[in-house]
Amino acid sequence: MPAVTYLEAIRLALWEEMERDPNVFCIGEDIGIYGGAFKVTDGFIDRFGAERVIDTPIAESAIVGAAYGASLTGLRPVAEFQFMDFIACAFNQIVNVLAKSHYRWGAPAPLVLRGPSGGGVHGGPFHSQNPEMWFVKTPGLKVVCPATPADAYGLMKSAIRDNNPVIFFEHKFLYRRIKEELPNGGGDFTVPLGRARQARAGRDLSVITYAAMVHVALEAAEALAAEGIEVEVLDLRTVLPLDREAIAETVRKTSRAIILHEDTLTGGLAGEIAAIINEEAFDWLDAPISRIAALDTPVPFSPPLEHAFLPKVEDVVREARRLRAW
Amino acid sequence: MKKRPASKARHNGASRPAAGRNGQRPADQERRYRIPDWRLERPQFHVTQKRTEAGEVRYSFTGDLDLAPPPIRESGYLTREKSIELYRWMLLNRRMEQTLETLYKQSKVVGGVYFGLGQEACSCASALALGDGDWFAPMIRNQGALLVRGFHPRDVMMQYMAKADSPTHGKDGTSHYGDIAQRNMVSPISMLGDLIPILTGVALGARLQGRNIAALTWIGDGGQSTGVTHEGLNFAAVQKLGLVLIVENNLWAYSTPTEMQFAIEDLAERAIGYGVPGMIVDGTDACQVFDATLEAVQRAHRGEGPTLIEAKMMRMKGHAIHDAAGYVPPEMLEFWRKRDPIARFEKHLLGKKWLTPAQNRELIAEVERQVDEDRTLAEASPMPDPAQAPKGVYCDPGCHPITLKYGGVKPARRGGAKLKQSEAALHFR
Ligand SMILES: Cc1ncc(C[n+]2csc(CCOP(=O)(O)OP(=O)(O)O)c2C)c(N)n1
Ligand SMILES: [Mg+2]
Repeated sequence: MPAVTYLEAIRLALWEEMERDPNVFCIGEDIGIYGGAFKVTDGFIDRFGAERVIDTPIAESAIVGAAYGASLTGLRPVAEFQFMDFIACAFNQIVNVLAKSHYRWGAPAPLVLRGPSGGGVHGGPFHSQNPEMWFVKTPGLKVVCPATPADAYGLMKSAIRDNNPVIFFEHKFLYRRIKEELPNGGGDFTVPLGRARQARAGRDLSVITYAAMVHVALEAAEALAAEGIEVEVLDLRTVLPLDREAIAETVRKTSRAIILHEDTLTGGLAGEIAAIINEEAFDWLDAPISRIAALDTPVPFSPPLEHAFLPKVEDVVREARRLRAW
Repeated sequence: MKKRPASKARHNGASRPAAGRNGQRPADQERRYRIPDWRLERPQFHVTQKRTEAGEVRYSFTGDLDLAPPPIRESGYLTREKSIELYRWMLLNRRMEQTLETLYKQSKVVGGVYFGLGQEACSCASALALGDGDWFAPMIRNQGALLVRGFHPRDVMMQYMAKADSPTHGKDGTSHYGDIAQRNMVSPISMLGDLIPILTGVALGARLQGRNIAALTWIGDGGQSTGVTHEGLNFAAVQKLGLVLIVENNLWAYSTPTEMQFAIEDLAERAIGYGVPGMIVDGTDACQVFDATLEAVQRAHRGEGPTLIEAKMMRMKGHAIHDAAGYVPPEMLEFWRKRDPIARFEKHLLGKKWLTPAQNRELIAEVERQVDEDRTLAEASPMPDPAQAPKGVYCDPGCHPITLKYGGVKPARRGGAKLKQSEAALHFR
């Protein structure tokens, strides 16, 4: 099987799920004949028809509300946000309707809300955000942020088959920049929700991260290896629910932790992970926990400003050296 | 039975009118929108904020208060048997809420109590017009609809008392529960308007599985101002989904009169902007509510899309039990007290000799008995076990099967297209 991009892997998973289960359908803006702003559903309408690839008015609350309503009749909708920044427009439906549905009245909501998030593409304040923490705060949701084509494929399949509302953040910087051969020779496989992945093994220090920052961590690890610092990279993959076990395990192994994310610092996931390390692995720590995250600002537009905003390889290298010398 | 005249809504004048050369449209291309108004009276009210001589700002009211209550309009559809059933639901609705008030005063209720006093016809007659396979989601004043669709007064009472045997086992209160398996009810949530796209989605899910259903929900004169109301109704209109939206214009949204909520005369006019039929009924006339809803439901079953029905009435209590509604000019209550939906319908049934005074007394006593029995059962239910608090956040494997309500989507008519390499994205390469 040839290598596929992150975007092609998502397309493939979605396509195969729609082939496998006629009760899966897509709903969103410009996803039909146009194939979506990033072409994730390009050609889907030709195969599955306008019934199962539904173009909607520009009304995010209606998209999410209608997807939820359809899920109550047993279907498995996959709703696309043109950009995940616009998920804010459906915030109430997500945090008050979807997230609480099963707890309040025992109604499962088997649906997926997916779309492109993340920066590094000069999209400016409204086309670059990482809004996962708006939802990680909300019990009842699952939140997925894959970093590789294989994980994007396997997690998408798990998300569609899951009986809970899953928010699936596709990192748009990765869409066409990374490629890999999918495991299982092109056959169907899933990646379980809620389980982290060791992206690189190392003994000296752990970088706990997810999404596009996994690649920043791996690049830093490569550079640090030349200095004799062996970095372990833990790719969380799912940020709600978090894989506490895997976080505890890597820190108990290396005794040093950097938490890295592209989301802004304050209220970012790093604070939560630091608390988990405190609870699960405090006695193993040989150095303070380090957080590396984006600046506490909106995502600036101009390339030099955005560059300053985003966490970089050199930030990880610098912090790794500091912790190593502690 | 008399057939209703002119009950069909005519809308949109079908074709898009083209302006003629001189800027004038030919008469047959003029847009003509018509909102059928089924009321027999059109009272004029006006509520404004005024500074009193004492220097306080209060609501002041002008209006035509001397109108005599009109007769009930003959239904085109309600048989004697169905009418008595409807009357009984309205009695049960009111009696249950009176009992809730008592339970509250005895400190047995957790939180507040909401009432639909004066709105029983709107809740019960509309729910009764649904077919068995149709769906609904009540708002807080539609507790009568829950009864019509098969819940017991004890279910509502246990919800208010936060009991272990309540439909949500204490996880939520009031009418905030649902039932997908049997009664086709979506649980309401507090955020006003959210149910509108959701019910639209239910109709979408059913249609994808080959069924045109009606999906009924209600929204207040206040709640209809929310953005999601617009989003939901517009989406239903575009997709021609069988949403039946009843706008309960009870003249107040908490303490805010309709004058400060919207600038049009009749909320039914909003329908024009969505390209869907709209109609106005007297919400205290059970026959009008039933007939209008039934026709909307029939439209939905024919796959003709959503309908908006504005029901005019008055909220006869405060927003909830804590609210004495001192801001409401008392003349308004006076006017509407003469239009009590239950008294009007009772008089109608007695007048038609569909109900004898003796049968009426018996019916009332029977309803009271049922509510008393349910109250005893509800009070006997224990409070929930605190160990349940952390449970049920996720639907874990084995916890709930996902059941296809209508057998699933038929995988018919797939194109032969294969998955191909997608073309490059235009955004942000
Ligand atoms: C979106 C939203 N904002 C505010 C509230 C608080 N609230 C609950 S009911 C209500 C008034 C509703 O008035 P209306 O829609 O006319 O319904 P009525 O109570 O008259 O039946 C308000 C402001 C809410 N539930 N939802
Ligand atoms: Mg109101």
